[in-house]
Amino acid sequence: MLRSFAEIDKTAVEKGPKRLVVLAPEDEEFIEAVKESMVRRYIEPVLIGSRRKMEQLSEKLEIDISRVEKIYETDRQAIADKGINMLFSGEVDIAGKGQIPTAYIYRAIIREEARGRKRNVSVISLWDIEGLSGLTSFTDTGVNINPDLQAKKQIISNAVYLFHVLGYSRPRVSILSGRREIGGSIPSYEIGRKLREACAAGELGACEVVDAASFGDIFIPGLKKFSRNEIDMGKVDFPEIMVVPDLTTGNILVKLDFAIPRVRRRSLVMTSRGPVIIPSRSDFRESITGEIATGVVVADRIKEAAS
Amino acid sequence: MKITNFREAIKEAAKLGRRRFVLPGSGGCCMETLSSAVREGLAFPIWIGDAGEGKKQFERCGIAASEGEILEEKNAENVLDRAFELLRSRKADILMQGAAPHEAFVNRVLDREKGLRNGKTASFVSVFDPEKVPKLTMLTDTYINNFPTLEEKIGIVENAIRLAGVLGIDAPKIAALSAIEQVNPAIPSTLDAAILAKMSERKQFGAAVIEGPLDIDCAVSAGAAMRKGVQSPVTGRADIYLTPNVESGYLTAQLNVFIAGMPMAGVLMGTSHPVILDLPWVSIESKPVEAALAVLLCPGK
Repeated sequence: MLRSFAEIDKTAVEKGPKRLVVLAPEDEEFIEAVKESMVRRYIEPVLIGSRRKMEQLSEKLEIDISRVEKIYETDRQAIADKGINMLFSGEVDIAGKGQIPTAYIYRAIIREEARGRKRNVSVISLWDIEGLSGLTSFTDTGVNINPDLQAKKQIISNAVYLFHVLGYSRPRVSILSGRREIGGSIPSYEIGRKLREACAAGELGACEVVDAASFGDIFIPGLKKFSRNEIDMGKVDFPEIMVVPDLTTGNILVKLDFAIPRVRRRSLVMTSRGPVIIPSRSDFRESITGEIATGVVVADRIKEAAS
Repeated sequence: MKITNFREAIKEAAKLGRRRFVLPGSGGCCMETLSSAVREGLAFPIWIGDAGEGKKQFERCGIAASEGEILEEKNAENVLDRAFELLRSRKADILMQGAAPHEAFVNRVLDREKGLRNGKTASFVSVFDPEKVPKLTMLTDTYINNFPTLEEKIGIVENAIRLAGVLGIDAPKIAALSAIEQVNPAIPSTLDAAILAKMSERKQFGAAVIEGPLDIDCAVSAGAAMRKGVQSPVTGRADIYLTPNVESGYLTAQLNVFIAGMPMAGVLMGTSHPVILDLPWVSIESKPVEAALAVLLCPGK
């Protein structure tokens, strides 16, 4: 079981290099991350994008891309389609989002999935919290604006798949909600109740949907009062998967790592054929390099399971 | 004076002298809050309810008979009404939750006819005292409104601006949060945030500056905002974060408390008198701060 990003990074060195196709490699931070990942022998990159922009960037950053495989394309949807097709056909192990809106990538994944296992698209954002004894995650933090019960079942399925790949045999799932002592019930809590029933009926596979629906519930079950001195991250029974009520809430929660030094974040989409790493446009190279390492490990384990 | 941390809030409130805290029975952490407020020189407690129980509670918490007042009310159903009467007749200044359960208490307090609501919108502001940051920051609405309309968000913003003024922040910078920093009709909170930003541009919120929509990375980090091409005096320097709904507000506040470990005190806004809710996710260490903020909010301060 991989319990931290440090363990993932160590494993990525052992399992690399993997082939990573970079969609629109026109972003400085992403290219710096690709360069660093090559140095660490995580990846062998394939770049798809505008020739002019690639050359400008390599000159500006003084990165030699003469020996890197390149495919020239300027149409954004064509870039996404080509890259995702390479992932699904097995030509590459991982796809990564450069300077291209995610909508193009999601559309390309949906088309490829429609031909095969029909896995739905959702983003899983892993969190490594200092002091916690394992990884946790938020999902869906990127695709479904206001997911209903069915959509949340698929969102859970994708996240459970990732955690199985990372070695967690029965991940615990919390369906987060803004339900509190006042204000009556709200849709996210009702969906949570139905998901707990679905899990108990065995519909959600090897996972456990827990009762906790807020951080208060997670940290101090049956919360009546608490002292800050009582909070011990090492003793918290933290769920591996936290399903957010909606996209806006997910986006706000997951990117709080910008304000919390003890937290690191890595986001990816699990497709049937391998991971697609989806850095935020505001992410910096260190974080993107970490996402690439995570992609390497996940890709390796998916291949290993398939063979 | 600008109040930059919780200790200063308590100190400034204590300078105003003791205020009369009315406690309609005891429940949760109310007595602990009250006794710490007495120790900090903030409170003169008034107990309403069974007198024997009140005496026992005062003794348990080390409050001497001369430091407070006990008003006998045998009928538990009348306790809250008696507290409202004291507030309206200016015989008390601040209401504590006391024995009433959360929902019943909030509903009674915010009742437009019989309660204490004085504004169009009531809202809850979570005030944070982040370590290594030399200022208080606010997140709202984190408790009262489930899915506020634009009109309610205007009220929520006005409430937060009022609290900011009490804390000495005369021109607060406000980040209207959403999932993304671009206006997208498929995500209604981006539209509300854009409208609020435009209203601020036209000075409809006085000196306050609202930027929105902002995703949280742009709001908290000027560097992240720069990467996304967002330039604003608010990015990386927000005093107030406006959340789109209670899902994001409640969960973000709790994440800050439990994972980020930030001290948090809450303030109910939109009432004629300060009201201290007894929320279980406010740490016992922050309870005196809630008492201090209530004192600072007293009319005539």
